[in-house]
Amino acid sequence: MSAALRETESAARQPSPLLELDQVEVTYHRIAIAVQGVSLQVLDRQIVALLGSNGAGKTTILRAISGFLGVDDARVSEGTIRFDGEAIANRAPHWVTGRGIVLVPERDKVFENLSVEENLDAVVGRRAAAGASMRQAVYEYFPALARLREREAGYLSGGERQMLAIGSALMCAPRLLLVDELSLGLAPIVVEQLAERLCAIRRDLGMSILLVEQNAPVALGIADYAYIVENGRIVLDGDRGRLSGHQDVQDFYLGAGGAGRRSYRDVKQYRRSRRWYG
Amino acid sequence: MQLAVNIVVLTAIYALISCGYVLVYRVSRVLNLAHGELMMLGAYGLLATASLFGGHPGLALAAAGGFALAVGVAVYWGLMLRMTGESVLAAVLCTIALGILLRGVVTLAWGAQQEYPLAELGWTNPSIHVGADARISAASLALVVLTALVYAGLFAFLRHTRWGIRMRAAGQNPLLAAQRGIRLHGVYALAWGLATFTGGLAGMLIALDSGLQATMVTIGLKAFPAALVGGLDSLVGALVGSLIVGAAEVLLIQYVDPLLSDVAPFFILLAMLVARPWGLFGTREEIDRV
Amino acid sequence: MSRIHASGYYRVDYAQDLRLIQTRTQRGWLFAALAALATFPWLADAFLLDLANQVFLASIGALALMLLTGFAGQISLGHAGLLAAGAFTTGILFKELGASFWVTLPASAAVGALLGLVFGLPSLRLRGLYLAVSTLALHFIVAYLGGEYEVRRGFSTGIVVDPPQIGGWTLDSGREWYAVLLVACIATLLVCINLLRAKTGRAWQAIRDGEAVAEALGVGVPAYKLLAFVVSATMTSIAGCLFAYYRGFVSVEAFSLFLSIQYIAMVIVGGMGSLLGALLGAAFVVLFPYAIEAAMQWMPFAQRVSGMVFAVNYAAFGLVMIGFLVFEPQGLVGVWRRIQDWFLLWPFRQRPLAASR
Repeated sequence: MSAALRETESAARQPSPLLELDQVEVTYHRIAIAVQGVSLQVLDRQIVALLGSNGAGKTTILRAISGFLGVDDARVSEGTIRFDGEAIANRAPHWVTGRGIVLVPERDKVFENLSVEENLDAVVGRRAAAGASMRQAVYEYFPALARLREREAGYLSGGERQMLAIGSALMCAPRLLLVDELSLGLAPIVVEQLAERLCAIRRDLGMSILLVEQNAPVALGIADYAYIVENGRIVLDGDRGRLSGHQDVQDFYLGAGGAGRRSYRDVKQYRRSRRWYG
Repeated sequence: MQLAVNIVVLTAIYALISCGYVLVYRVSRVLNLAHGELMMLGAYGLLATASLFGGHPGLALAAAGGFALAVGVAVYWGLMLRMTGESVLAAVLCTIALGILLRGVVTLAWGAQQEYPLAELGWTNPSIHVGADARISAASLALVVLTALVYAGLFAFLRHTRWGIRMRAAGQNPLLAAQRGIRLHGVYALAWGLATFTGGLAGMLIALDSGLQATMVTIGLKAFPAALVGGLDSLVGALVGSLIVGAAEVLLIQYVDPLLSDVAPFFILLAMLVARPWGLFGTREEIDRV
Repeated sequence: MSRIHASGYYRVDYAQDLRLIQTRTQRGWLFAALAALATFPWLADAFLLDLANQVFLASIGALALMLLTGFAGQISLGHAGLLAAGAFTTGILFKELGASFWVTLPASAAVGALLGLVFGLPSLRLRGLYLAVSTLALHFIVAYLGGEYEVRRGFSTGIVVDPPQIGGWTLDSGREWYAVLLVACIATLLVCINLLRAKTGRAWQAIRDGEAVAEALGVGVPAYKLLAFVVSATMTSIAGCLFAYYRGFVSVEAFSLFLSIQYIAMVIVGGMGSLLGALLGAAFVVLFPYAIEAAMQWMPFAQRVSGMVFAVNYAAFGLVMIGFLVFEPQGLVGVWRRIQDWFLLWPFRQRPLAASR
């Protein structure tokens, strides 16, 4: 773990993080290493973002946490994943959901042949009694859904689908919400609204959120802390202020570089700063 | 008028068998070609319980129904569970092999001669007059009524109960269902149990009406085109498909050639596959699933 | 297509590369196999000869189905229908026209080709499960037509066919059939090997592994699919013709759905995507009932079920097929390859990757 992290978080740190990945390595088909040496933390009530471009390994990390690696003949071959101190690597998905980690997937995120209401009802939550009240809460967070109760999910627009996906995830009463590509295919204003809703959800329901995003400005807008993933490794991490101000992040992820575009080949400074962070 | 009665009865038979095909396909995307054999096993189960619970036909029927349900769940847990994740074709071949196994086992256990569970239960099967010139046997009438009840029950279950919704969800998107806490194995086992139960029910009623023999399996195989014509994942489709196939069969026997009756469903099946592979009411899916 | 050989074999020109037999080990195996096959008829009694003949007959059909299902990826549950077509063509031509072997064989082939076209047409629109179902439907239709013919022409117990005559020589002894069927089997095998080594085989495997990709790469998918069906059906029909002559008897009951399943079992038990698998599978499925019968002598409850041998057959067959599907999806060839690997890699061990073989 990097010194920078220790520095900034020492003041508000709880004794142990909610989710902790330690030197995790994920291997596909026993030969292809997708991510290596990944260590990250999500604290209680924290929004953490995983940034990076396509194919960096962000979704693999989410799949490793939520137990979906087996589907693609992959497994966590090294390292540990601890949730609340308990090891959860290579477990079945419904077990992980039962522990309170729920994933909002990137694709196929709703049941297309069921109505909105049925989508919410289909969920088997951790606390069965919370069903009706949670459903009410979902409709309050997403009033658009309340108007579309009987609509078949296959006919919803992209933004409505994402709302329904998040809503059905909430029905599981999660303690950690994993969101894969919140903004994919959505109009900027819709993304803004969703991001604001996520902050409200974190505040009211007291859950942590691990957000995987290609859209760095949006992610850094709501995240307390962020990790940047490249080629299966974490190359940078820090809180919002530090990352937003970092030259390389500004150039490569925020598109806010100085005069003239820097070529990705011209990475001397990048490599130097990567050494700082180890 | 008698023709109409015959059509209704045959439609009910095919419908009751088809809903088994539809249930399993809709929920787990597996085509259960052992359904005919499982149906036959259910009927032989009734034979066994009838002789077991000599003087209590009601108990015998209930026990046979429970047996059929248990067999369905056992088939899933013991066999099909291992095939989840394999290609769909491998799963279908597995069901074919299971059907062959069951055929052998049933013949070994009960012999190849014709049996009459009706006599074992101590019941009779009188003919009932319908209208001026048509008759229907009591067992057939019971079958028609029960088919209607089963379908009503299934519709209610799938539309309005929690677990019915979850079954439909698991059928549409198993990955997401697993993520939302739905135990897929439980849902699949339930689907198989229900399918075998309805199939066993059909087998029992057919056996009560016209005797029981291992050749009953062909009825199960003929009901399969009915399910596919309507759409393998639609219960409404199964009803409509059964009507089409049943009517075609009865009319062909009456007006054209009795020999055609066994092969007519397959002509209709072929025509439907060429014109509209996903059936009348099925969801238009990607049809390359190997 | 060729396997990795043990070190020491280098190919330095194309002629060497194209040779069928490349290593000394392969030459050794071939010599041993040919020697065994040549001496077998002189050592075996009539019963064993009959078994061998049945295995050769089944191999032709199995190779044909392996081409279609194992290499081209088109599932066909209607194989028995194609066998029936060849057999019935032979029977009908013989009974109605007194046709000789020289007419019935090509006629069977032609009927097979035509029927292959019919069976293959749905494959242009359907794939996987639905294609299998369409072949199933076609099988029933063909069986129905055969039954109709029998009933209409009064041959309800079947058509008797005389042994074939070539010149003045009648083909009716076990050893003569052995020679003929062995040659037919080898010829089929060579045709299959040839097809698979050429562009056709590559196109088929491309279609099997990824149809959309194959189409994008310029493989004429519909044409090759139909070709697979036609070639496979022609071979199967010829096998049906030979079957009719060998048995001397054609009846629709012999071509049931169970026969189709047996051929599928040959392909699966043998190992999909391998010609050796087709041969092994054919041998396995043909010899299986005899093995069961022999085993039943030893079973304690044999007396009780001795009258229902076919039921025991069914049960055992279903069980074995399930066993292979669940535990050994790569079939006997998979077992053979594992044995080979063990010897090649000893003292190292390696679990093969799922997609590699």
